[in-house]
Amino acid sequence: MGLKRQKKWKQKKKGKGKTTFYAYLYSAPSLILIGLVVVFPILYTGYISLTNMNVYHWFDFEIIGLGNYERALLLVDSGFLSALLATILWTVVNMVIQLVVAFVLASLLNIQSLKLRKFYKTLLMFPWAMPGYVSILLWKTGMFNSQFGLLNQWMEKLGLQAVRWLSSDVSAFICCTVVNLWLALPFMIMIMDGALQSIDKSYYESAILDGAGWFKRTIYITLPTIRPIIAPAVIITVFTTFKQFDVVYLLTQQAGAKTGSHFHTLLTYAYENAFITNNYGYSSAISIIIFALLLLFSWKFRLKEEP
Amino acid sequence: MKRLRKWTAWILVLAMLVPLVLTTAGCSGETQADDNRIVIWHDKEDAVAEALEAELARLVPDVEIVLEKKTSLTDSLKLSGNDPSAAPDLFIFAHDKIGVFAEMGILAPVTDFVSEETLSSYLDMTIDAVTYKDTIYQLPIYFETLLFMYNRRYMQDDEVPATTEELYAYMQENTGRGRYGFVEQHSTAYYSAAWIHGFGGSLISADGQPLLDSEEVRRALQYHLKFVELMPGETEYSTVNTLFIEGQADATIGGPWMVPSAREAGIDLGIAPMPTVDETGLKLSPYSGVQGVYVLNHAAQSKDETVRQVLEALSNPSVGVALAQASGCAPANTACYDDPAIAEDEMVQAMRETAEIATPMPNIPEMDVMWTVTGNLLSDVNLSGEDVDTAAAQAQEEALDLIAAMQ
Repeated sequence: MGLKRQKKWKQKKKGKGKTTFYAYLYSAPSLILIGLVVVFPILYTGYISLTNMNVYHWFDFEIIGLGNYERALLLVDSGFLSALLATILWTVVNMVIQLVVAFVLASLLNIQSLKLRKFYKTLLMFPWAMPGYVSILLWKTGMFNSQFGLLNQWMEKLGLQAVRWLSSDVSAFICCTVVNLWLALPFMIMIMDGALQSIDKSYYESAILDGAGWFKRTIYITLPTIRPIIAPAVIITVFTTFKQFDVVYLLTQQAGAKTGSHFHTLLTYAYENAFITNNYGYSSAISIIIFALLLLFSWKFRLKEEP
Repeated sequence: MKRLRKWTAWILVLAMLVPLVLTTAGCSGETQADDNRIVIWHDKEDAVAEALEAELARLVPDVEIVLEKKTSLTDSLKLSGNDPSAAPDLFIFAHDKIGVFAEMGILAPVTDFVSEETLSSYLDMTIDAVTYKDTIYQLPIYFETLLFMYNRRYMQDDEVPATTEELYAYMQENTGRGRYGFVEQHSTAYYSAAWIHGFGGSLISADGQPLLDSEEVRRALQYHLKFVELMPGETEYSTVNTLFIEGQADATIGGPWMVPSAREAGIDLGIAPMPTVDETGLKLSPYSGVQGVYVLNHAAQSKDETVRQVLEALSNPSVGVALAQASGCAPANTACYDDPAIAEDEMVQAMRETAEIATPMPNIPEMDVMWTVTGNLLSDVNLSGEDVDTAAAQAQEEALDLIAAMQ
C-alpha cells in the first residue's frame, strides 16, 4: 500500500516537473526578451558604474571599484535633497489629482443615460495619440508663452498684466502638473472606466433596495471593487511620475530655453549635475542610486498594498 | 485537442524566438565594408545637404556618397564610436565637439588627407577653431556667426546703433505696447557670449579654467541687465524669431539661419556691424561656429584613398560657392570669395567681416558643461533677479565641480 502511494507520488512529482519545464519553455522567449531589454541594461549600468569610463577613457576604461559611488554620494547635497523632496511632492500631488479626476470622469462616462459616450471617450483619449514631446512644446508656446500664449491673451482681454507663467518655482510646478495631468489622464481614465464596467450591477441593485445613497455605494461597493483592478496601473503611474523628465525639462529647463524656474525633479537634477559631464561611470553610479531609491519606494508601496 | 494546443504553443514559441535570434545576429554581424562607399552623417538643413550632395556627385562621381541626417548626431556618435558596423565614415558638425571626440580617440587628423598648402587658403579663424592640441581634426567648409539684423520698415539705416548706449536709447524709445526696439536670446550662453567678449571677458580659458566669476564677466552681466529689462521674458529661439519675423521687433542679433524666413516674410532686411560697447571700446563679439567634415579613425584606416578623394573634393572652392548660394553659408575657404556671386552677397560678406571680430567657440571638452552652467547663471541673473556677484560665484563653483566630475 505504502509502495503504491510512493509510486503515485513519484509519478505526480514527475508530471509536475514536466509542467514546470514546459511553463518555462513557453515563457522562455519573453523571459529572454525581458532579460535583453530590461535586466541586461541595468546590469550593464551597474558594471559601467564601477569603471572610469569617461571622455578621457572611452575605450580603455577599467574597473576602479566604488569610487564613482563615493563621488555620487557627494552630490547628495542640499540641491539633491530639495530635488528629492520636490519629486515626492510632485508625485503625490499628481497622483492624488489624477486619481480623483479620473474617477470622476470615468464615473460620468458610466452614467446610464449618457449620450455620445464613445465620442467623449475618443476625445478623452486624444492626448494619448499625440507624441508627448509635441504636446509639451505645444503647451509651452501655445498656452504659457508670455508673448503669444493663450493664457496671456485672456489676461490681456481681462485688462490684466501679462504673466511669465514658467518663471517662478511655484507657478512652474503648477504648469508642469497641468501638462502632466493632460498627458497622464487618458491612461488612468481608461483603466478606471474598465474597472467600473467590470462591477456586477446586482451589487448596486441590492444596495439601492437597502436604501444606500450614491455616496455609500461609492464608499462600500465601487472603491473596494475597483481597488485591486486599478492597483497595478497606479503603481506604474507612480513610477512614471516619480521619474518624470520630459515635462519638467522641456517646459522649464531645456538648454537655450530656460525660464528662470528652479523646480527640478530628481532626474532633471541628475541630468544637469552629472549626465552632461560625459562621465559615464559617474553618471551610471547616480542612475544606480536613483534605481535603488525607486526600489525602496516600490518595496514600501508593496507593503501598503498587501495588508 | 491537447496535442493541438501543444503544437500551437510550440509554434508561438518559435515565432517569438526566430525574430529574436535574427535581431541579435543582425546586431553583432559586421557589414561588409565597401571601400568605395562613404557614409556621411550630418544635421544640416535640406538646402545645405542637397547642395553638398550635388557637388560631391559632380566632383567625385566614382564614389558612392550616402548623406544621412541625424538629429542627435553627437549622442549617436558617442554610442557607436568607432564601430564600423554602426558608425559613419565621416560626419559634418560644428567645431565645438572636436575636443570631446578627439579625447575619446575616434577622430583621425585631416592633415593625413589634405595638404598644408590646401589648408593655407582657409580663413585663419576657421583653422584656429578646428585645431585641438596642435592637431587639425576637421576640414572647415563654412562658418556661422551672429549678425546684427534690422527691419528697414521700422529702423532706418541712419538709426542703426553704432554703440550699445545708442542701442539702449533706441530700445527705450521704441519698446512698449507689444513692440520691441531690439530682441535677442538674452539668457542663452551662445548669444550672451557676445556681450561678455565685448567686455574683454570669456566663459572659459584655453586651458579649461572656467571664468564665470571674473571681473569682466560680472561687469558684462550687470551692464546687459538693463537691455534684458526691455526685452521679452522668454529667451528661446522661437519667441525671438517670431517677434522679428512678425514685425513686432525692429532689430535682433541672430544667425544666418533666420535670413531665409525673414526674406520669405517680406522683411526688408538690413545687416549691420555689431555695436561697440561704450565702456570698453570693443565690439560685441559673437561666437563663430565652423561647420566642417570630421574623419573617423576606422574609415581613415580602411578607406584612406576614398576618404582622401572626398576631402579633396570638399576643399574645392566650388563647394563653398554652391553652399553660399544655396543657403547663405559663409565659406571657410578664402578662394570662394573671388567668385562674383559671393562678392555681391551682402549677408555672406557681412559674416566674413564679423569673422574678423568673432571668437571661435572653444573646442575643449570642458566647454560641454559650460553651456549649461552659463545658461543657469544667465537665467538666475536675468530671469530670477538674483544678485550678479552671488550668482556668478555659485556658477563658478558649479562649473569647477562639473569639470572635476568629467575626469
